[in-house]
Amino acid sequence: MGANEGSGAREASDALHARVRAVIAAFERRAVSLEAFDALASDLARFQARHVPGYGRLCAARGVAPERIARASDAPAVPTDAFKLAAVFAFDPNEARVTFRTSGTTLGARGAHAFRDVGTYDAAALAFGRATVARGLAPPVAVLVVGPSPDEAPDSSLAHMCGLFARALDPGQPVERSFFVRRGTLDTAGLHARVAALLPSRPAVVLATSFALVHLLDDLGRDQLPLPPGSRVMQTGGFKGRSREVEAEELRRAIAAAFAIAERDVVGEYGMTELSSQFWEATLVDERARPGVYAEPPWARVVPVDPETLAPIVDGAVGIARVEDLANVDSAFAVLTQDRVRRVPGGFELLGRTAGAPPRGCSIALDEMLSSRGTP
Amino acid sequence: MSRTVEERIADVRRLLDAAIAVHADRAQLAPAIGRSSGLTPEGVELGFASLETTATAAELRALVASAGHAGSVHVILSANVFVGALRAIALARAAAERVTVRPSPRDPVLARALVERAADPAITLTAVRDVGSVAGDEVHVYGREATIADVRSRARPGVVVRAHGPGMGVAVVSDGGDVEQAADALAADVVAFDQRGCLSPRVCFVRGGESAAAGFAAALHGRLLDWSRRVPRGSLTAEERAEQVRWRGTLAYAGRLWDAEHHAVGLATTPAAVPPAGRHVLVVPAPSREGLADAIGLLAPFIVAVGTDDPSGFAAPRHARLSALGRMQRPPLDGPVDRRGDPGVEKRASPVP
Repeated sequence: MGANEGSGAREASDALHARVRAVIAAFERRAVSLEAFDALASDLARFQARHVPGYGRLCAARGVAPERIARASDAPAVPTDAFKLAAVFAFDPNEARVTFRTSGTTLGARGAHAFRDVGTYDAAALAFGRATVARGLAPPVAVLVVGPSPDEAPDSSLAHMCGLFARALDPGQPVERSFFVRRGTLDTAGLHARVAALLPSRPAVVLATSFALVHLLDDLGRDQLPLPPGSRVMQTGGFKGRSREVEAEELRRAIAAAFAIAERDVVGEYGMTELSSQFWEATLVDERARPGVYAEPPWARVVPVDPETLAPIVDGAVGIARVEDLANVDSAFAVLTQDRVRRVPGGFELLGRTAGAPPRGCSIALDEMLSSRGTP
Repeated sequence: MSRTVEERIADVRRLLDAAIAVHADRAQLAPAIGRSSGLTPEGVELGFASLETTATAAELRALVASAGHAGSVHVILSANVFVGALRAIALARAAAERVTVRPSPRDPVLARALVERAADPAITLTAVRDVGSVAGDEVHVYGREATIADVRSRARPGVVVRAHGPGMGVAVVSDGGDVEQAADALAADVVAFDQRGCLSPRVCFVRGGESAAAGFAAALHGRLLDWSRRVPRGSLTAEERAEQVRWRGTLAYAGRLWDAEHHAVGLATTPAAVPPAGRHVLVVPAPSREGLADAIGLLAPFIVAVGTDDPSGFAAPRHARLSALGRMQRPPLDGPVDRRGDPGVEKRASPVP
């Protein structure tokens, strides 16, 4: 990228960041945003087509002229695999301040999501986190993370988000005190001590992956970690072979029992390294909300699409998730995942990963390669 | 009484004779094979060219030596490339005096035809689905990792399970050869069985820089177009079509893509973007020997076959079948196609002496 082009891209990027943050700020003020989703989405897609070479090629391959993108749905979505193979950013690599990476696979490639300006990510995460999992909680709120700290896992977007929540919700505490996985080991005793020291009048928020919670539950056995009234527990992600697999409802029940909270206070989060926004179950927000239904912030949408045509499908039908995330200013506004989803009243349901092609022949399937431990 | 090596070879030869008869009758079998495999009539005819009907004495001796010994073998066939049934049954017959064959319920045609024409009283067809009821010495299972794991978990104690899992082929093209000739030969390997075989090449390393690789990719695209006129691609499943759309989008973004209705060739600097089956090839430049060795090493656990126009220019994985381009789908009948071995066998039991 040349110097002039670079500064032009930076100015355009800064302006887009400001517009997205205005949408987020309006949400926080419970005001109506003056910015229409489609207008901002179209400007983002055109910006990315101009400044991210891969996206320009994808538009060409899909027969989409960037200057004609007028709605979010006009913009081709970037498959998550592209983050493993190419630079998905609209700036000089030297300008990257933070790079989040996906976990590794047998084929070695890790997805990378680089940020020149992480402020929009942070604003989006905090705004929707406060409106969902931390709704109604006034700082200081103890944040207990059953996971590694950002210092230990600097390329984990989840660790970053948890650190962000710890600093924002519990500003008086040194952030390291919030994390209870150190050098890969779960500090159950430390967690016990911290929970025991919580004030009964101050609710706490526990943030954890599903597999970390399974390990914690296994460690606890019949023991409990009773949290103060009003506390919540976030669970996110699958098991990825890192713990035994537990059916979702059973895990929710076990978590609620272990922390002595209501099942509706166990809140699921759906996020991805390739995104800047997260989606949360709305059980704390809406008493009619069902567990397993994820709500979207006004700056991000999950659109189920047909996996062959990539066209949106009707509400109630199962498709793969095309995520339109306005906070992905410098990377990919629209991301094509491999997660199966269905639109339902109040949001979308997450139905797991797409299975690979069924057996026809002895050619190895991609999902078999990615899950293999290597035979010879 | 155990058979001599010559008797075992003679038993395998009866299967080769059956294969000759099946090949002669292929017009009758082709429609059913087309329905089960998704291949076009031209694709079925091309596939029949890979059905082994001859083998040298040395090859059969090697096949018998690789087969081991067992009193009885139960063969579980998956919806493999359709000609794969012959080698599977031949290996079992070389090993054992009694063989039961359970064809794939979805693709039973060739296995049934072979067993019926062989008329070998030692080989019987079965529809038994519960592997836990099989009381033989060995079970030979062909299929996906999940199928293999399921069979292992259900097999009776003491029964040795020999697994033949899925895999893939890769190609290596030298930097001084005839590009068009290499591209045409590789296209022949790709088109066979619509690339659904474990020998089918899906990644091709081209010695040299990106421009050499791009030149080869363009040539391969042209040859695949020619092939698709002679041997149109068959139907893909919905999942295969979805994988194809996803891979093409990824390569359009992350590299270069030569796109056609019935095939696509992608160019990327890493082999991590392995394409799905269905006539999709990833071309990767290999500017250095060290880089090529690393890239092949990354894929080695999945590689069953390597095709090349210059075997002196690199080291193929020791277990891989090495052949000339255009010959990848025709390995000699000298043992299992896949020589990666089955570590699960060693974990479960020692081979029968």
